[in-house]
Amino acid sequence: MKKLSIAERLGMVNYQNQGKTEAKPHILVDTDICNTGCDHKATTRVCPANCYTLDEVGKVHFQFEDCIECGTCMYACDKGAVTWEYPDPEIGRGVKWNFG
Amino acid sequence: MEDKFDCIVIGGGIAGLSAALTLAKNNMKFLLIERGEFSGAKNVSGGVLWGEGLSKLVPNYWEEEDAGFERFINHRRLSFMDDDSSFSIDFKSSSFDDKPYKGVIVLRAKFDNWLAEKVQEAIEASEHPDESFMAPNILVEEVLMEDGRAVGIRAGEEKFYADSVIISEGVNNLLTRQVGLQDDYVPADTLAIGVKEIIKYDQKVLEDRFQLNGNSGMSNEFIGTATQGVEGGGFLYTNKDSVSFGLVLGMISLRDSGKKPYDILNEFKAHPVVADTLRGGEVVEYSAHAVSTGDMKVMPKEIYSDGVLVAGEAANLLMNSGKAIQGMDYAMHSGVLAAETIVEAREAGDFSKTKLKAYRDKLEKSFVLQDMRNFQGAVEFLHSKQMFESVPGLVCDFGKQFFSIKNEPTPKTREMLSKSVKKHSSYWELLKLGIKGARSL
Repeated sequence: MKKLSIAERLGMVNYQNQGKTEAKPHILVDTDICNTGCDHKATTRVCPANCYTLDEVGKVHFQFEDCIECGTCMYACDKGAVTWEYPDPEIGRGVKWNFG
Repeated sequence: MEDKFDCIVIGGGIAGLSAALTLAKNNMKFLLIERGEFSGAKNVSGGVLWGEGLSKLVPNYWEEEDAGFERFINHRRLSFMDDDSSFSIDFKSSSFDDKPYKGVIVLRAKFDNWLAEKVQEAIEASEHPDESFMAPNILVEEVLMEDGRAVGIRAGEEKFYADSVIISEGVNNLLTRQVGLQDDYVPADTLAIGVKEIIKYDQKVLEDRFQLNGNSGMSNEFIGTATQGVEGGGFLYTNKDSVSFGLVLGMISLRDSGKKPYDILNEFKAHPVVADTLRGGEVVEYSAHAVSTGDMKVMPKEIYSDGVLVAGEAANLLMNSGKAIQGMDYAMHSGVLAAETIVEAREAGDFSKTKLKAYRDKLEKSFVLQDMRNFQGAVEFLHSKQMFESVPGLVCDFGKQFFSIKNEPTPKTREMLSKSVKKHSSYWELLKLGIKGARSL
């Protein structure tokens, strides 16, 4: 079987309120903490939806739109940078599995 | 208060639905709130629901034309892998065709939705068909507390009150933390991450490839190269016309490896033995979820308090003992026990912590906590580096020698084994491991 990129994989995921242009983020990340006080930046490797990325100068960036609510970052971040909530069914952007 | 429920169940996964079904059968007035658009919409598991618990909750479920499960298991395989080989222990038995089944493969979006229908039917058949409800697409933001006692929940501006609350919100147990039963920060050491693909086939192709008969199914666990040196293992379960294929990776080990979970999944799929198994399939879903490893250290400080009980993976009830990855059966049983405790509390008119301790006692006596306590050694054993590195390497190395016929004088099996052992470990290490393994299982 052909190897799939993370973008191809996430392309198969359905989200609630997918049509809406703006959604309320359910995870807030204080990337200042990641970029000044974190030696491991673990979230950029363990997040299975690649929501945490490193730019060319090694700074952490976060986007919640692809989040599949797995919870991993809430455990992986031991610096208190991640505030994790469940997405609001009405105005948030949460995952909706077809198979699960 | 007139409109007070006997119980509010937070979360319509397997624990919550099993609790709700038990409450309905006992004519309790309850409200079950699920944050997904339907039960199962938010849930991911491997997934095999092991054991016979489902047949107690939904008698003769297998007689239904389209019961919520995919296939029952009568074929099991455990594969040790190195870079180019796989050495398997394979067991298939038609005695596992007997009902009730000993394990059924499920896809949660379908299974949980089906189980929710059973709850609705039970509500309609109960004494309070108009006073118990299941409410999907609502997020519980807070468990309401009064004088240290849970009295209800808040969702947005809406408040609902009850004599008791069952928290069955899953592994990411925010409300369990809010009521003070779990620490606000749970470290990654006792957690893993599961990544999974649903790979679709023509049903006939799937049945022929995996030697399936009717609705029989196979489970295959993998240990070794599957995880590229990261602690954990792989799995493959046959659904009706797809397979659930994925990995469970220790979070800390993954963090330290520098690898990404989806890249390891790609490597696993490209392994020559696995590639032959999966050939021709089409990936139709990619999913992932945090999962407890079965280390009891991560469990909430307590699973009951005044007016509140915690069930399922919210209480980190899950274990991989090496024989099977069990979690959904624990969820089901803990949900039932939580509900039974609420029924007794209702009869006694006492929802205090002292009364609700009965839940802890029941769970301690049941297979759930008995097994989790008895197999903690096995959990530790499986997470040792030898188990996911040296042993698979040794076993495959031995296989390559034993099964190759070279038309040269053949060494005795003992010599082959000795060679493999020296290459990957030592007799001393192996002896220690053997003793540890024998003790833990």
